[in-house]
Amino acid sequence: MRLIKTIMAVCFAVGMVPAVLHASSGTPIPPAQKWSQDGIFGSLDKAAAKRGAQVAVEVCMACHSISLVKFDQLRQLGFTEAEVKSLAEVQGRTKTDRMNGALDETSAKDAFGVVPPDLSLITKARKGYEDYTYAILNGYLSDAERELVNKVMADGSVSDQEALELQSALLINTHDKDHVKATLERLIGGASFNKYFPGNFLAMPQPLNNGQVSYTDGTENSLKQLSHDVVTFLSWAAEPTVAERKSLGFWVLGYLFILTVLLYAVKRRIWAAVH
Amino acid sequence: MSKIMEWIDARLPVTELIKSQATEYPTPKNLNYWWNFGSLALMVLIIMIATGLFLAMHYKPDALLAFNSVEHIMRDVNYGWLLRYMHANGATFFFIAVYIHILRGMYYGSYRAPREILWWIGIVIFFMLMGTAFMGYVLPWGQMSYWGAAVITNLMSAIPVVGEDLVVWIWGGFSVADPTLNRFFVLHFLLPLLVVGVVVVHLWALHAVHSNNPVGIDVHEGKDTLPFHPYFTIKDLYGMGVFLIIYCYFVFFAPNAFLEADNYIPADPMKTPAHIVPEWYFLPFYAILRSIDFLGAFSKLAGVIAMVASIAILFILPFLDRSPVRSFRYRPLSKQLFWLFVVNAIILGWVGYNPPDASLFHGAIPLILIGRTCTAIYFGYFVLLWLITALNIEKPRPVPKSL
Ligand code: HEC
Ligand code: HEM
Repeated sequence: MRLIKTIMAVCFAVGMVPAVLHASSGTPIPPAQKWSQDGIFGSLDKAAAKRGAQVAVEVCMACHSISLVKFDQLRQLGFTEAEVKSLAEVQGRTKTDRMNGALDETSAKDAFGVVPPDLSLITKARKGYEDYTYAILNGYLSDAERELVNKVMADGSVSDQEALELQSALLINTHDKDHVKATLERLIGGASFNKYFPGNFLAMPQPLNNGQVSYTDGTENSLKQLSHDVVTFLSWAAEPTVAERKSLGFWVLGYLFILTVLLYAVKRRIWAAVH
Repeated sequence: MSKIMEWIDARLPVTELIKSQATEYPTPKNLNYWWNFGSLALMVLIIMIATGLFLAMHYKPDALLAFNSVEHIMRDVNYGWLLRYMHANGATFFFIAVYIHILRGMYYGSYRAPREILWWIGIVIFFMLMGTAFMGYVLPWGQMSYWGAAVITNLMSAIPVVGEDLVVWIWGGFSVADPTLNRFFVLHFLLPLLVVGVVVVHLWALHAVHSNNPVGIDVHEGKDTLPFHPYFTIKDLYGMGVFLIIYCYFVFFAPNAFLEADNYIPADPMKTPAHIVPEWYFLPFYAILRSIDFLGAFSKLAGVIAMVASIAILFILPFLDRSPVRSFRYRPLSKQLFWLFVVNAIILGWVGYNPPDASLFHGAIPLILIGRTCTAIYFGYFVLLWLITALNIEKPRPVPKSL
């Protein structure tokens, strides 16, 4: 028993170490958000996903594709056939088409230097999952933070006091002053800074702002709401079969559980004579 | 019915085989639950072959189509997501079962005479299993598939003289590409079927020498044994129930827990991921590979040799262990060494998971040092086990004469 405890203690310690390790690497961990589809009992908030589909079509698809989903499939989120048709028309496509974006590869490379990644699997393809995509959409500098940067850079140097303020606003490692200065210079030069993107600078200018999309169901359209909705939609798009998987899972586990209890009872019964 | 059986038995003694090798097969009555993992491994093998077969009906082994064909399985094929998640998590649970199965053998001395050949066949199965899992992971053609394949196949280039040519031959070109994917698919399909054949020989060897047991002594048939059926059929079935519950929890509720996020990005030969990690079950060996970095030009070759040796050394385990007693239950020093070995292997896995240049406490302890220490402890296990038994340093406790 003592051995088992030691092993458990070691495993626990090993589990803790990544936290120590992580602290030294640059990019902050995306804060956890609440997602209705999380957990074994969670189920997708379809209304949110439906609103998110609108955001994706009207905003993200100007640059990104969601090519593993067809417009027609949006009916699973509660859109009518006519609504699907008009959503497809936003991108100049028909309802049986895949959700390919408006930007072709060459123009994308000309405009951004990279091809924006397909968003079909984005919530599964980054560590941090939904939280990461949400953090990216909210990780651009606010007006107040931008002002702080301008203020700091007004005299061209960064004092210790200012570094401390920047640390909490920009979430960057301020031990390395040269790095801070280089970052601020790029920022002022107009490059897109994002708190949660590894390396901080990405080719995507802030795609989503307060009030950018107007909802028909009267839901407020703050940046937080819009981004939460679009990420809920992308989470559905990454794996439209999650609901089916979970509901089947309950039957399978329930069946296995009863079967195993019965097998255990039979096992006890058969072995009773031996023990 | 019995007439038909008689007719068959006169020509092919099926009833006799079932009786002697299954239902009435004498099994030590004191086997504990660690003995369940052989049948569990067999169960997972069957699950893997069954799901793999149906996946292969929809999968396309083509560099341009592979990634999307897996997503086609996930989205469009009826219960395709179930097939894929059962297969992907099946690999993880296969290794869990086999690792426990092997450690069980190491703890209770199941590798000792007269079970050496049984043990060796087991190690052959383990090697084949690693090859199968490695090539299977390449098939979805995501970033980790691609770069994992590139890193591991590249190791062959360390082999003197023929290494470089060998790698080109394996790749079927000058980089990991379509021909590589295609042949890995063929081999991934073939190998498990060969594993089935070797498992049959494994069981043949088992039935020739019979099971070891937790006490580790030779048993007297009848007094110490029970017929396999119903005693061990029901015990194995119960074990399968428990194992399936845990397995299905992951399949249905956390299917991506053991998968890397990067593998949902299509393979891109132009873009190396920030951090290439193999699947969890290879991590300890990967750490051993990387920990040999102090031999200059020979580091790569030495690392590969150390990695292969870390498993191949199991072949000579029967000769290293000289104790008069099989089971570690009665061997206080061996027992401590064993648990040190287990904990050490877990730490090695953790080292393998982290980037090679990582460190603890802001550079105070480079991980590479921990990796080297753990590699030394890993091999030290085998040396020390030999020393304490060959030189009679360990004084075993008295062993019962019968069960
Ligand atoms: C103006 C064009 C444009 C629009 C509109 C746009 N993006 Fe992007 N996006 C890009 C580009 C370019 C990149 C590549 C960034 C890079 O790799 O540096 C990108 C990258 C991303 C990434 C990946 C970041 C990473 O970790 O690699 C996510 C997630 C993302 N966009 C989400 C969205 C969402 C959600 C929307 C809609 C709200 C959206 N984008 C709208 C151009 C755009
Ligand atoms: C596909 C993988 C494998 C399968 C399906 C498998 C299956 C089995 C089964 C069903 C048994 C009998 C039940 C038991 O004693 O647990 C067994 C016994 C045994 N296996 Fe395996 N095995 C596999 C891999 C291995 C490996 C990798 C090793 C060691 C390197 C190994 C070593 C042994 C030994 C030593 C025994 C005899 C156990 C004893 O009586 O103590 N096996 N195996």
